[in-house]
Amino acid sequence: MRLKEIPKSLKSSFMGYFSKENFEFIKLLYLISIIFCSIVAIIGFFSLAFSIYFGDNVVRFLLLVIALIFTYFVYYSFFVLKKRKQMIGLTIFTIIVYLLVYLLPLFPPKYGLRDYDVDASILKFVIVSISLVIVGVMGSSLTFRPRYRFTSKSKEKSAYYILIVSILLVLYPLIILISSIVTKGVGGISWDFLTMDVRKLGTEGGIYPCIVGSIFLMIGTAIVAIPLGVGCAIYLQEYARKGLITRIISICVDILQGTPSIVHALFGLAFFVPIFGISLLTGILTLGFLTLPIVIRSSEEAFRSVPQNIREGAYAVGATKWQAIRTVVLPPALPGIITGSVLGLGRAVGETAPIMFTAVYFFGAGVPNSLLDPIHALPYHLHELTKLIGYKEVTQNAWATAFVLLAIVLGMNAIAIIIRERFRVEF
Amino acid sequence: MWLPRKVKEALIKNFFLVVAATSIFIILFIFYFLFTQASPAFEEFGLNIFSNNWSYSKEQYGLGAAIHGTIIVTIGAMLIAIPLGILSAIFLAELAPYRLRMILKPIIELLAGIPSIVYGFIGVLLLTRYLRDSFDMLSGYSYLAGSLILGVMALPIIISMSDDAIKAVPRAYKEASLAVGATKWETIKKITVPSAISGISAAVILGIGRAVGETMEVSLVLGNRMDIPIPPFDFFETTGTTLTALIVHDMGEAVGVQRNALFAAGVILFIIVAIMSISSNILRERIEKKFKGD
Repeated sequence: MRLKEIPKSLKSSFMGYFSKENFEFIKLLYLISIIFCSIVAIIGFFSLAFSIYFGDNVVRFLLLVIALIFTYFVYYSFFVLKKRKQMIGLTIFTIIVYLLVYLLPLFPPKYGLRDYDVDASILKFVIVSISLVIVGVMGSSLTFRPRYRFTSKSKEKSAYYILIVSILLVLYPLIILISSIVTKGVGGISWDFLTMDVRKLGTEGGIYPCIVGSIFLMIGTAIVAIPLGVGCAIYLQEYARKGLITRIISICVDILQGTPSIVHALFGLAFFVPIFGISLLTGILTLGFLTLPIVIRSSEEAFRSVPQNIREGAYAVGATKWQAIRTVVLPPALPGIITGSVLGLGRAVGETAPIMFTAVYFFGAGVPNSLLDPIHALPYHLHELTKLIGYKEVTQNAWATAFVLLAIVLGMNAIAIIIRERFRVEF
Repeated sequence: MWLPRKVKEALIKNFFLVVAATSIFIILFIFYFLFTQASPAFEEFGLNIFSNNWSYSKEQYGLGAAIHGTIIVTIGAMLIAIPLGILSAIFLAELAPYRLRMILKPIIELLAGIPSIVYGFIGVLLLTRYLRDSFDMLSGYSYLAGSLILGVMALPIIISMSDDAIKAVPRAYKEASLAVGATKWETIKKITVPSAISGISAAVILGIGRAVGETMEVSLVLGNRMDIPIPPFDFFETTGTTLTALIVHDMGEAVGVQRNALFAAGVILFIIVAIMSISSNILRERIEKKFKGD
């Protein structure tokens, strides 16, 4: 409701207190509401942290309603003061605080009594208090505006800190992941581990068949996907006229590239398994189709980066289309194609879902003798070991398997990146 | 073998045409095959396929719980990935010195290359245990764990695409802003990021598509329980499932209508991802068009 539309009589009686003229009152109301919200939030938090539930759910619900009414007053004062940004910000933070503080303890442990240990309460305390501090800062920055005004310089500085913290937060899981796998995995790596057969469901023995299986899968995938993909890209980029059909094709390639690998697994299971059985060949075809769009995309990109005037130069000295492609277009595009293909293969070798139902047996598969034999593969082996974790020797073997898999995949990625940086052709 | 030049050219062209047609045929065939396999389920259950009713004994296969789980986990993942991803992209594109950027970019690409099963393994061994011990959850297997891992997995694609979008903003825009006395941060906030917003949203959409389709780690850390939790947004304590995890979990033994229902899950995933990638493409084309004139 716009303030101007309020009748004067009302404005002077009740709503008058909330009008823009009564600035001080609104500020006071706002302050009280902020304080109240914080108190309620703190009570809710402590009841959460120490598992002393403040009354039953009805009481908590009433508190929530009262807090919501007060929050409404805060919103109203923001509205009157035309603080749109603060309104949006406050909305987000109230939602977060209420989610954390109220919805969590509304659903107490369902499986009987549990002891809340100290660690837990500390962590929750940190989360909730951070959100409360933010709400408080927002409040004070409005209420005591003249005293704590941000200059654009100080804003810039704090923004930079936030950016740096966010990039560190992004790197944190990567560091944890790689360091833990390296430190715990290296211990399990030995010559025996790499060259022995899988024994007793992976609790003993090595992972030799898995490594061999994964390498076979990778080679097969390359044989299926790279010729088809590069040929398709050559046709689309060099021969086909740009028009509706190439556009539709490119949309199809995009969709297939985004298609979850589990959907490819479904396709492989329902289409190839009835023909070839659970075998290396089925796995190769499924993974090949998964990698195909990646190869098409990156090759197209590589061809597109070769400028048109180079082709025209070749035509000018009498080259045919194919000669031009072979001699002047393909060589500078090659690093891009190889990079894309290696990245695609790196992805394929790490995929578990597509081979789960199409190529691997956990029992009894060995090193394959023919294309129609079932195989072992590293990612699937790791998956099965993860499910078995808890048995004595499995954990150590699982770490070591993860290490080998990660080394292969990251090695391929690193090769791809090096090729791209090393052989990049600038026009 | 000697052939006239024209014949040779035509042969080569037709050879590539055949190769391209094969690839395209494979793609279209995958689409077609999925839909035909899923159609019996749609015929059998109609709209009930979206209900929360998954029962082996009654032969009722409603995907409601899995769809719900997919949505919950994806929202959770995006709450982590979108702010972190965009802020890191801004850092990479605008703040990082050249050398740091040259180190960080490949590292983030490496992050994208780590197989999902490794994330799942780490999720089971480190994350769920951590959650169990320090947030004192019952088992740690929960939507929260799934969201955390998916958030981390969606980060690289959001970062690298947003970074490209921000880098594509013409320098003249920024210089004009700096020339009138804006600080660098004000320029980033008011000029650079708003100009790149369609590219950034393309990145976010693609990230969502990626999160929806991830399979292995979700199936490992979610706990595979085919039911909508009560209350539906209970994020922390309940185990659950997603469309992808459901397929992995049940596909091995599924026969008959159940198998068709799983294919229906695949089709739903496929449609979601298709919408995502098409809209992401449209946004990306828009940003290309926008900056073409400069």
